[in-house]
Amino acid sequence: MTKILVIADIKDGVLKGSTKELLSKAKAIGAETAVAAIGSNIESLSADLANAGSDTQYIADDADLELFTAGPFASCVVDAAKLFEADLIWFGFSETGKAVAPRVAAKIDAACASDITDIEIDGGQITITRPAIANKVMQKIKINTKQLVAVVRAGAFEADPGISGSENVVKLSAPEPDLKAVIKEVVSDASGEIDLGDADIVISVGRGTKDQAGIDLVKGLADDLGAGFGSSRAMVDAGLLAQNKQVGQTGKIVAPNLYMAMGISGAIQHLAGMTGSKTILAVNKDPEAPIFNVADYGIVGDLFEVVPILREEIKKIKG
Amino acid sequence: MKILTTIKKVVDVELNINVENGAIIEDGLQYVMNAWDENAVETAVQLKEKNKAETTLVNIGSGDDNTKIIRKGFAMGIDNAIQIDDPALENSDPSIYARIIQKVYENGEYDLIITGKQAQDTDSGQTGIILAEFLGLPCVSNIIDIEAVGDQHIKVSRLGDAGTEILELELPAVVTVSDGINEPRLPAMRGIMMAKKKKINVMDLAGLGTSWEELGGGSPQSEITEFLKSETRQAGQKFEGDAAEITAKVVDLLANEAKVI
Ligand SMILES: Cc1cc2nc3c(=O)[nH]c(=O)nc-3n(C[C@H](O)[C@H](O)[C@H](O)COP(=O)(O)OP(=O)(O)OC[C@H]3O[C@@H](n4cnc5c(N)ncnc54)[C@H](O)[C@@H]3O)c2cc1C
Repeated sequence: MTKILVIADIKDGVLKGSTKELLSKAKAIGAETAVAAIGSNIESLSADLANAGSDTQYIADDADLELFTAGPFASCVVDAAKLFEADLIWFGFSETGKAVAPRVAAKIDAACASDITDIEIDGGQITITRPAIANKVMQKIKINTKQLVAVVRAGAFEADPGISGSENVVKLSAPEPDLKAVIKEVVSDASGEIDLGDADIVISVGRGTKDQAGIDLVKGLADDLGAGFGSSRAMVDAGLLAQNKQVGQTGKIVAPNLYMAMGISGAIQHLAGMTGSKTILAVNKDPEAPIFNVADYGIVGDLFEVVPILREEIKKIKG
Repeated sequence: MKILTTIKKVVDVELNINVENGAIIEDGLQYVMNAWDENAVETAVQLKEKNKAETTLVNIGSGDDNTKIIRKGFAMGIDNAIQIDDPALENSDPSIYARIIQKVYENGEYDLIITGKQAQDTDSGQTGIILAEFLGLPCVSNIIDIEAVGDQHIKVSRLGDAGTEILELELPAVVTVSDGINEPRLPAMRGIMMAKKKKINVMDLAGLGTSWEELGGGSPQSEITEFLKSETRQAGQKFEGDAAEITAKVVDLLANEAKVI
C-alpha cells in the first residue's frame, strides 16, 4: 500500500484546512496516511491531526522550532519520512512547503515536484500534473524515483468532511539548530488579519484603487463580508500594501469561493494566483481589461462609484 | 566577495503559448532572461557597488538567445560569464542543473550564490535550494532584502508564512531572490556597448570537469512526458451601464445564482 506523509500546515498554533485536503486525497487514492507536525507548543494538536485524516502523527515539538528555519524543519520531515517509510511526502502550498520540499528531496535523493494539481499512481509508477509558464500550460511529469516530495497547489484537492483517522502519536527528537543560517526575528505585519488562504471571500485591490483612500473604501467592503484582503503587485510596488498581501505568481495562490478584483487589469502573473477561485467578480472601468476574460461577473465602471453601491446592496441582502 | 549568479533563458510569458499533440508549439516563441534572474543579477551588481565584489554569471545553454541574455547580464554590470554548452543538456531536470552549478561553484571558490527564486518556464523553484543542499551550504529562499555584514556574513529578509523572517547567514551561502528585492536596472548605452566586447567563457561538460553520466543524466529523477492546454475559465456575464442598476443586478446574482454571499 502506498504510504503518504502529509506535512501539517500550522499557523499561530492552529491546524490549517490544507492538511485535511491533502489527507483526504491520500485516503481517496487508498493510501496509508501519516502526518508530520513540526513546531513549538503543538502537542495539543494531536487530536486535530487525527481528525484531519491521519493514522499516525509524527510530532516534533521544541522551543527551537518556534521560529521557522528551513534546515531544521527539513530534518524533522526526513526523520518522519524514514520512520513511516513514506513513498510520497506532501506539503500544502505555503512558503514553508516551497522552501522545505526541495531540501527534503535532495536529502533523500527523491524527485521533487512543485505546485502539483493531480497525481496518478499506477502499479508503483507515479505521474503528476502541474501548471507551468504562469499557468499557461499544464505538464504531465513521470517520476522515476521511488519516492516523491511534492508541494500541492492551493485548492487542488478538496477536503472530505467524512474522513477521520486515529490518534497514534510518535514523538520526533528535536533537530540540530542550523548554526550557519540563524533566524533573528520575524516581523509580522499580518497579526489579527484574516488569512488569505483560509478566507471564503478574498477581495483584492489593484492600481485602479489609486491611493490609501481607495484602499480604505474597499477595505470597508472586505470588513462587511469578513473577507481576506489582497492586492496586485502594482499596489505593493507603490508601497501602499505589504508584500504578504500580493496575490499572484510571486505572491499567494488563493482559491476562495468568491474573489473580487477591484481595479486590477488581469496580468497573467496576477491570474496565476486567483483563477482557481470558484466565482470571480471584477470591477474595472476598462471594458477590454483582461480580467473580464476570467470573471464570472463583470461590472464595467468606476470602482469609486461601484464599491459604495456594492456595500449598500450587500447590506440589504445580509440584513 | 566573489558572487555567482545563475541566469536562464525562458520563453516570454507575455506571448501566447499553444500546445498541440502534447508539445508546445515553438514557432513564434521568443526568449528572454528569466525575470527573477534579472533580480538576481541586480542583487549581485548592487552588492558589488556597495561592497567591492567580483560578479560572475553562469548560464546553461546555447544559441543566440542565451548569448543575448548573457550580454544583458554584462550590460547590467556583471564582470564575468561562464556558459555551459553541451548537447547532452537538453531537457534536464532541476537536480541536473543543480549538479552543474555545483561543479561551477567548486571550480571557482565563490562566497555567495544568488539565483532567482524560480524560472518563469517551469515555475518549479527548486534549483537554488537543491544546489545548496548538494553543497552543504546554508540557504534562504524567497528573499526580499540582503546586506553584507563584514566579510563572513550576510543578513537577509525572507517573505515567509509568519511574516518577514530576518536571518543571518554564514558565507559561503546560497540565496534565492523574489522580485520584491529590487527593480532590475535598464542597462545604459555605455554598458550595452561594453557588453558586446566582453568574453564569454564557454565550456562543455568535459571542460567543466564532469560528464553526463556523473551528473546522473542517464537516469533523470523526473521527465516531462506531455504538455496539456490549461483549463481556461470562460468569460461570464459583463454588465455595462447605470452603476446602481448593474451593481444591484450583480449582487443579486452573487447571492442567488452563484450563492457565494
Ligand atoms: C516575474 C513577475 C512576477 C509578477 N508577479 C505578480 C504577482 O504575483 N501578482 C501580481 O498582481 N502581479 C505580478 N506581476 C506584475 C503584473 O505583470 C502586473 O504588472 C500587475 O499585476 C498589474 O497590477 P494592476 O492590475 O493592479 O495594475 P494595472 O495593470 O495598471 O491595472 C489597473 C487597472 O485598474 C483599472 N482602473 C483604473 N482606475 C479605475 C477605476 N477608477 N475604477 C475601476 N477600474 C479602474 C484600469 O482599467 C486597469 O485595468 C509580476 C510581474 C513579473 C514580471
